[in-house]
Order: sequence, then structure tokens, then C-alpha cells
Amino acid sequence: MTENHLSTNFQMGQRYGSHPQDGKYPGRLIIVEGIDGSGKSTQIDLLGKWLKRLGYVTVFTEWNSSPIVKRTTKRGKQEKKLTPMSFSLIHAADFANRVYTQVIPALKSGTIVLADRYVYTALARDTARGVNREWLRRVYSFAIKPSLAFYFKVPLDESIRRIVTGRDQLGYYESGSDLGLTSSREESFRMFQGRLLEEYDRLTEEYGLIAIDATDTIAVQQQKVREYVEPLLPGIMQFDNHTVPDALSSTGLSGRYLPPAGYRRLTDPILTEG
Amino acid sequence: MKTPKFYGHTPLNLGDKPLPGRLIVIEGTDGVGRSTQIGLLKEWLETEGFAVSDTGFRRSDLTGSGIDRAKRGHILDHLTLNLFYATDFWDRMERSIMPALEAGMVILGDRYIFSIMARSRVRGVPAQWLDDVLEFAMIPDQVYFLDVDVEHLLPRVMANRELDHWESGEDFLREPDRYASFVRYQGALIKEFRSLADQYGFKTIDARRSVLEVFQDLQKGVRSVLEEMRS
Repeated sequence: MTENHLSTNFQMGQRYGSHPQDGKYPGRLIIVEGIDGSGKSTQIDLLGKWLKRLGYVTVFTEWNSSPIVKRTTKRGKQEKKLTPMSFSLIHAADFANRVYTQVIPALKSGTIVLADRYVYTALARDTARGVNREWLRRVYSFAIKPSLAFYFKVPLDESIRRIVTGRDQLGYYESGSDLGLTSSREESFRMFQGRLLEEYDRLTEEYGLIAIDATDTIAVQQQKVREYVEPLLPGIMQFDNHTVPDALSSTGLSGRYLPPAGYRRLTDPILTEG
Repeated sequence: MKTPKFYGHTPLNLGDKPLPGRLIVIEGTDGVGRSTQIGLLKEWLETEGFAVSDTGFRRSDLTGSGIDRAKRGHILDHLTLNLFYATDFWDRMERSIMPALEAGMVILGDRYIFSIMARSRVRGVPAQWLDDVLEFAMIPDQVYFLDVDVEHLLPRVMANRELDHWESGEDFLREPDRYASFVRYQGALIKEFRSLADQYGFKTIDARRSVLEVFQDLQKGVRSVLEEMRS
């Protein structure tokens, strides 16, 4: 239930000699994909908590979060300066930066990297915006092939209901309003969302994403996810997170000067250890 | 009516857009005299009755400050930096160059995608990958390559200013001093430019000669590129 579930024609990370290939790294890369509201973030959060409880070191990375690039993206969106091509390129820059600073070092260290959205988000969104499909695949050829890629699938009407519920207004880019398909933001959203789901279906086939029915209950979905993940775990780095309590109980110290839980000296890497 | 051609695929629907202007690019390494020649060309073309823009490829307001910030801190890996440059380049092309071409202007481009390519190739970025990324660039009506060797470049640079950190490749080379670094870096850059000249078919101009001689060559070339704009 490991690599064999992935399509063998996956080119990413295998195209250029100096781009590192998958399989050389001792770590594992597990990614989730799906539209907003599909529940993918909840699922990867639950997966991460489970893995941590089992003592695995996990590193989390999310879409559009590179500290260097995201300011530019944010400003471009606010000022509506991004066109489909610059939207695509700036997200590629963000992704490249995170692959370089977060994903590769973590995989080389032998940890489990959990990614909320991955290259497929770019492929789906940008293609839905009219960007050339083959060019996108060449641009993203540096991406590392995931060990497991889950796609949380929601039908169109349900996806629209989930995103619109509890929102004042749809975003300009999220609704595809930059494409000028129609003057109504709601209608534009529906059309764009339809294209997006079609692209995700195509990607599921092309790259062998594991489709999970996101209309199932959260617990059922999580059960399925864990069944896929479990066989990947043997041999992965584990971290004994009981050493501090052990030290305190056997010395009788209170630990009042220890840094608080969740404390991180470095602000840059999003390192979540047990 | 003239429509744009691109090095690779035609991005979005831009291939059908009529662009009556002309795009002329001057490429070449640091200090070779690009801005001098562009200054002369601009003045001459204006007296000839052409509307000229030479501002198109300066930093875009979208990405400029982000790139500067990142470069100052030396914190970007090459892939990210190149994708940043690519964003910047596309943004200027779509929002500044193409509208000016649509309005019938002559654009004098100081550098183009080839400077990005040359700088990255010497730093070890896979050439094919970056060529692929930048294939969205419009093919200019003419690319002039000001070719010089390091021996002729050095006195010209030294006469004007001190050797610069970035122009000496000190961000990745480890040479004993800046002079050695400059010689090695510029030598490598010029080599890459020459191979790009073959690959992409630039018109090479011998820039070891005087400013006047180079300018006269450019005048001759540019005149023939712009000829049909008047007919």
C-alpha cells in the first residue's frame, strides 16, 4: 500500500539530475488535497495528532505560507494586480521556497512531512484559470513526489454549500472573478468551482491520488486515512517525548523555568514536535 | 496586423492581441554599455519620430520590494529566486510592455529573460528547467547582444565605479578577493551569454570597440527593424 498506489508516470522530481528524486529520502511525505471546506485540514490535523501520539516526529507545511513570498502574494491579491500567470508564478515561488526550506530538510532528517495542499492545488487552480497544462508540469518538475496523496472529494453542490455557509463574501480570486467569466461573483464562483473539481478528477487519475469520499463522517474518513498511512510507518524516526516528565518525576523538580509547551526558539520552520 | 509570438506555448489568449509596436532588446553583461547605448538610441529614435519607452523592464511594483528584501537577506534559494524573477518579468510584460506595444510604441529593453538565464546557469540552476519556465516570454523583434571579453570589460567598469558584490558573484563564489571573483564570474557569464546567443539567435555586436562604433551598428540594425512601421 505504498508507492504502488501511485501512478508510475509521475514525472515530478524525476526529471532533472540535480533535482533530488523521491525514494532517496528516509522520511515520508503525506499530502492532502481538496477544495476549501472539504475537511482536508481537519483530517491532516487528526492524522498529525495520532502520529505524534505514536511518537513520530512530524513537520507540517501549508499552502502559500513561505515567510518571504507570501507578503507579495497577499499584496498582489489585495490590489488585484495578479493575473492568471503571475498568480501561478508567485505560488510556484512560494512552493519552491517551502520545498527547499521545509520539505527537503525534513525528509532528509527522516521525519514525516504533512502538507495541507501540495502541487496539485496549483495544477488544478491554474489550469482552471486557463494556464497551459504542460507548462505547469514543467514548472513544477522540482516537486518531490509524495509517499501518499489524499484527495477529499466533495460533489459540486455540496462544495458550494460548504464554502458559502458562514461567509459574508466570496474572495475575488477564490471565486475566479479575475477571469471575468460573469459579472456575478456567486455565478463566477460556481463556474470556477466546477472547473476546479473537473481538474481534480483529472489529476486523481493522472497522479493516482487516493480519493476519499468527503461526505462520509470525519471518523470514517480518518479511519481510512490511517489504514493507508500505517504501512508506511515502520522504520520512521521516533522521538521519545516523555523524557521531560520522566526527568521531573525522578528528580522531584517542578520544571517551573522550562519553556512553555509549544515554545519554539526558531520562528521560521514550522516544526511541531510532540 | 502584427500579433505576438512566444518562445514556448502562447500564454492565455495573448496570441491574438494585435501589437503594432516593436520590441528591441539589448542584452549583455554588467558594465558592457547597455544603458549608454539605450540612451543614445532613445534620443535618436525620438528625433526620427518614434514614441519610445525604455522603462518597461525595471522592477515591477508587484514583486520588486519582495525581491530586494530577499536579496538583501541572502535568504532565497535559486529556484525560489528564479520564480520570483519570472513573476516579476511576466508582470511587467503583461501590464507594461504589451500595453505600450499595443499603443504602437518602440520599446527598448535593457536586459530580457536571457540575463536571468545566464545568471542562473552559472549558479548551477538546471538550464532546461529555467528555459521551460521562461518560455512564456514574447519573442522580441530583435535581440542585440553586446559581446565583450573580461579584459576589455574590466577597464570600462573600473573607470566608472568599484567592483560590485553581485556583479562579482560573491554570493556563491569563494575567491580570495573581489578582483579574482569578478574575473571568474564575468568570464563565466559571458560564456553563458554566448551560448544563449547561439541557442536563441541574437545579433551579436562586438562591444570591445568604441561607443560610437557600437552605436552605428545598432542604428543600422534598428533602422531596418523599424522600417516597416512607417509604411
